[in-house]
Amino acid sequence: MTKHIEHQTDTWEIGGKTLNSRLLIGSALYPSPANMEEAIKVSEAQIVTVALRRQAAGENAGGNFWNIIKSLNIHVLPNTAGCHSAKEAITTAQMAREVFGTNWIKLEVIGDQYNLQPDPFETVKAAEVLIKEGFEVFPYTTDDLVVAKRLADVGCKIIMPWGSMIGSGKGLMNPDNLLAIRKQFPELKLIVDAGIGKPSHATQAMELGYDGVLLNSAIALAQDPVKMANAFKFAVEAGRLGYEAGTMQQREFASPSTPTVGTPFWHQFS
Amino acid sequence: MIEVIVNGVRTEVSTEMNVNEIIKELKYKQKGFALALNGTFVAISTYDTTMICDNDSIEILAPVQGG
Repeated sequence: MTKHIEHQTDTWEIGGKTLNSRLLIGSALYPSPANMEEAIKVSEAQIVTVALRRQAAGENAGGNFWNIIKSLNIHVLPNTAGCHSAKEAITTAQMAREVFGTNWIKLEVIGDQYNLQPDPFETVKAAEVLIKEGFEVFPYTTDDLVVAKRLADVGCKIIMPWGSMIGSGKGLMNPDNLLAIRKQFPELKLIVDAGIGKPSHATQAMELGYDGVLLNSAIALAQDPVKMANAFKFAVEAGRLGYEAGTMQQREFASPSTPTVGTPFWHQFS
Repeated sequence: MIEVIVNGVRTEVSTEMNVNEIIKELKYKQKGFALALNGTFVAISTYDTTMICDNDSIEILAPVQGG
């Protein structure tokens, strides 16, 4: 019981902020703004992703959405979703910094429209520029170890490999690749971003030693987003606790859990 | 009159003017958005000194939900 309480008050640091939750969630695709607000609250996430889009003349900039997000007293992580070049992403990041008042940026540069796979070359190029401009870059990337290395080389302290395609809900396609990145970069903050579809996927990511998970569709598109937000809160906590506890070694043979000493009828009738 | 492209739509405005003036002429709210001119970010502090000319392209972006 004591250890459980200790975990509840355990904190971690990312981008210069100290947090209690390792769940990062998106703000899109919810059935309603009220549902989004409730889901964010229930998830206890302290980082929520937001975006910028074209505004029509006469509209109240940001409208209700931005007012709701501001009222939640959480950290916003603006994204560069929809950008296809380093230049577009850099400009969007600069605009986001002014509007949202944060130097955090979730850097997304898409290289393929079919599977929304990040463009590693443009992502590294943009990350290098943005870091020099004082941004805290959260780059969305594939699970490629060398790309992660290039991002670290240009100064990224955080790397966010995908679990699988954005919005696919397929979970972790290549857990071995994700584990390789974790082993190679113990000093970096690693977040699995994209592809998580159900709570067990988030648990698996956390069990690999990832510092957090970022997801949107899995909660927003659930039959009951608020209940699913609660499920993900526990899933992330469970995975982290499992990682900290240290999982047993897998074995290639069976090994009985129940003591064999004193087994009744030991080979008497065989 | 000059023509500018505002959020992808070709639009006529009265003359060359600075960013603050064109925001007023286009009837945009005065805050809560960010602006780029020909693909380059324009900081609020430079709205008075940044001129919009014929055929310029402006993006005016505001907060929305994101993943």
